[in-house]
Amino acid sequence: MNKTLNRRDFIKIMNATTGVAIVASGITLTTFASVSEIPVTNKKRWGLLINTNKLTETDIDGMINACKQEQGWGTEIHSTASQKPAWIKKLKVKDKATNKVSSLALMCQHCEEPPCVDVCPTNASMKREDGIVLVDKHLCIGCRYCMMACPYDARSFVHETLNNQKEHMPRGKGTVEACTMCVHKVDKDETPACVESVNSEAVIFGNLYDESSQINRTLRVIQSSQIRADLNLNTGVRYSGI
Amino acid sequence: MNRFLVVFLSLFVSSVFAYIDEYVNLGEQASSIKLSGKVFHKNPSIIRKMHPEFLRHKRDKTLRQGIRTNEYSLKGCVSCHANKNKINNQYYSVDKKGQFCSDCHKKVGVSFDCFSCHRTVPREDLL
Ligand code: SF4
Ligand code: SF4
Repeated sequence: MNKTLNRRDFIKIMNATTGVAIVASGITLTTFASVSEIPVTNKKRWGLLINTNKLTETDIDGMINACKQEQGWGTEIHSTASQKPAWIKKLKVKDKATNKVSSLALMCQHCEEPPCVDVCPTNASMKREDGIVLVDKHLCIGCRYCMMACPYDARSFVHETLNNQKEHMPRGKGTVEACTMCVHKVDKDETPACVESVNSEAVIFGNLYDESSQINRTLRVIQSSQIRADLNLNTGVRYSGI
Repeated sequence: MNRFLVVFLSLFVSSVFAYIDEYVNLGEQASSIKLSGKVFHKNPSIIRKMHPEFLRHKRDKTLRQGIRTNEYSLKGCVSCHANKNKINNQYYSVDKKGQFCSDCHKKVGVSFDCFSCHRTVPREDLL
């Protein structure tokens, strides 16, 4: 035996010898628009830019509804008001000097240095290479450390038994959840549901690193900020107008 | 190494063959594929034995690396193996009594917890 098998080779051989293959001809299964077989990399960093000057309160309500529709949260019946999930919420901020009030949509900020990931004891709270922060519910034990660690109160805990979840968004009692930046859509080269719901250019989604992307170009010319920038988390969600 | 592999493979293949259920509630689409003579799983016994591992690899790839291919996707299992109630044209949940997943799991006495989070019937627009 002159070659040692690594795990990958082993699985390959397994597939070849046992013929665990999928014969897809003529079978309609779940169809995928474009499916990448290459792992996501840190060459990209997905982000949002929310312009609070353009974003109306109606827009924000629309974003919240779009998120509920897309991801299937918001129909919990047994949870109390404080227990109900809120992946994205409407927030009002006031400039103490001028009394200017701005409304903004606040969801998981997809921090580059996410405190929620730091505190997770099981590695369930995790960041993809492309900057999207997710909860691996297979590993989540429901301890809620991440909810306490998150400076943006972005995460929710599911308090009741659920059924009829969205196919792309498994959710269940006893686990933590939050905005996924619509990762199931992003992986198909689509745009997050909340961004799609806004008609104006008030919310821009894109690759922060790509110098030809609209979000990158806009961020380079306008004044923008990160909420609680003092924490140095380098958020993926940026705001302008506040 | 190869010899070891062969021994290992034959060991577990035989242990799988030890359990072949005559009655398996295959599910709507899976049954029609089978009837049409097409082969979807060339070796069902391997799937029977190894599906937890296949699914586990697949879930990590999907969730952590964004690789959303069809192979070993739980959505795929559910959309093929769900049964329809002929009266109201609604799918039964695959984890309900007498349905594909629960049938077998009950028989072998292994509990599973996929479906407290995952959707138990094919997706909305397939209904
Ligand atoms: S906003 Fe909160 S949940 Fe989102 S990545 Fe940052 S710390 Fe984690
Ligand atoms: S990106 Fe998707 S999950 Fe996040 S707030 Fe928008 S709609 Fe909800």
